[in-house]
Amino acid sequence: MTTLVRRRIDWTGIAFAAVLTLVIVLPLVVVGTWAFTNVWRYPALIPQEFGLRFWGQTLARADVWTSITMSLTLAATVTLLSAIICLPAAYAFARLDFPGRSILFFSFLAGHAFPKFGLLVAIAGIFLQLNLIGTFWGVVLIQLVGTLLFMIWIPVAAFQAVDRRMEEAARDVGAGPFRVFWSITLPQAGPTIAAAILLSFVGTFYETEGAWLIGAPQVRTLPVLMISFINNQPVIQYGAVLSVILWVPSFIALLFARRVVNSGSFARGFGG
Amino acid sequence: MTTDTASALPPAPAQSKRPIGLLLVAAPVLLVIWLIIWPIISAVVQTLWVKTPEGSAFSIETYRFFFSDGYSLSNLSITLWTTGVCAILLLLVCLPIALYLRFSDSRVAGYVQSLAIFPMFVPSIILSFAFIRVLGPNGTADLLLNAVGMPKIRSPYLTPWGPVIGLVWDNIPLTVLILLSGLGSISNQAIEAARDVGAGKFALLWHIILPRISNSILVAISFAVLGIFSAFTLPYVLGPAAPEMMGPFMQRTFRELFEPQTAITQAVITFGFCIIFGLFYVRSVAKNQAA
Repeated sequence: MTTLVRRRIDWTGIAFAAVLTLVIVLPLVVVGTWAFTNVWRYPALIPQEFGLRFWGQTLARADVWTSITMSLTLAATVTLLSAIICLPAAYAFARLDFPGRSILFFSFLAGHAFPKFGLLVAIAGIFLQLNLIGTFWGVVLIQLVGTLLFMIWIPVAAFQAVDRRMEEAARDVGAGPFRVFWSITLPQAGPTIAAAILLSFVGTFYETEGAWLIGAPQVRTLPVLMISFINNQPVIQYGAVLSVILWVPSFIALLFARRVVNSGSFARGFGG
Repeated sequence: MTTDTASALPPAPAQSKRPIGLLLVAAPVLLVIWLIIWPIISAVVQTLWVKTPEGSAFSIETYRFFFSDGYSLSNLSITLWTTGVCAILLLLVCLPIALYLRFSDSRVAGYVQSLAIFPMFVPSIILSFAFIRVLGPNGTADLLLNAVGMPKIRSPYLTPWGPVIGLVWDNIPLTVLILLSGLGSISNQAIEAARDVGAGKFALLWHIILPRISNSILVAISFAVLGIFSAFTLPYVLGPAAPEMMGPFMQRTFRELFEPQTAITQAVITFGFCIIFGLFYVRSVAKNQAA
């Protein structure tokens, strides 16, 4: 019976796979091809000359390096700050009882309950009065808001998934609270928290709207530079090379965070 | 998908209410109040109590201007059109994928799921560039058509369909994940029982599946609407210069025209149009988490 089921060809699946491959993968393959192309003139189906000429030219541009440094510094600062602020809070929400616990926990949803760019404009109105427009810290603050929900909700789920009996067993044999946290709680919750931190870093690295609205032109991140490449740069390869460079953090996230994305806690964060 | 993590916030361990918890959550909560709640209240107040030479006075002048200005209204209507079309297309694209993933045990399903989630790992800005290279003038689509001797396409780039294609592509992963999460709650027994009494595929979908995932469908649509209504990057890069969607419109009013008061009015109007979706979304997520 099972062999019969197995032998049946999954035509629906093959159709979905074919269409999705065409729609999802093809555009990215095209960008990848452009990045390694020296000459590709219409109407040739494949490039006339492959090569790395434009990598040298793109990486020789000062604006590319400035924005790479800016993006990495911003993403690292925001992720670090968000970990320092959010992880103790996530532990408190998961483990401690205090007044207003539920309502405060759900208050982090507020940022997702409004159209995002509208909210950013409202925040920008406040930043204008505080002279934070066009400053590094203005962008840090606006990007920090974007990380709050994930850096609280995913770690809360991680802390709750820790086996309480192991903690109690450790306590029974005389371990202090910090020892229990360090040796039992953290190793179990660690991988999920690491994925949350990685997602937070990647999310901040690609954040475009806040950086553009609050930071530009003084604070120019890689995605903001990419916008100007798309709008004003006639050399297609510059944009293609920048796209490939820009995709590296996402590729790392893809390798490490896929399990978290596929897990229930992630879909739940979005209401699934 | 819904069963592998403990539901959020079950009762904390039985112990006395300790204020240390409040202390630990204070920093992010204050940040939410300062950078989300306060700007929204301030935006509404600022646009209704307008500064006059004699001091502040209640006025709906900024809103009256928006709703009497032809350009603002056409921007609003293109935004409503884009959001509506994207929501319908997302449902038409993602529901079949989610249904297939839920009920298939073939090996192809794993590949389909990876592809459906993949756009989550592609930043919108790279997508925009890729889209221009494929569907833009002399792009890959034109190259392929030319190779088989067919005429060029009328490129959707810089037309209202440009942002629609980009936004649908971008929103596929979360819509599929949310729908799949809802479908996870339908037991195989319920399906088999309906099949046993002779229900066909369509009857199964209409009478058994859809009623049970209606909440997930609404959550997925609410989430998509909240994201699309004031989207910026994709409409800015792929969309027409005029009329423009609310995201690029607000950005231009704030940064290029330097009229923050007008931009904030536009922001409050986007809040107004999305409030039902926002409330529904928060209520559903909170209910799911508490369950």
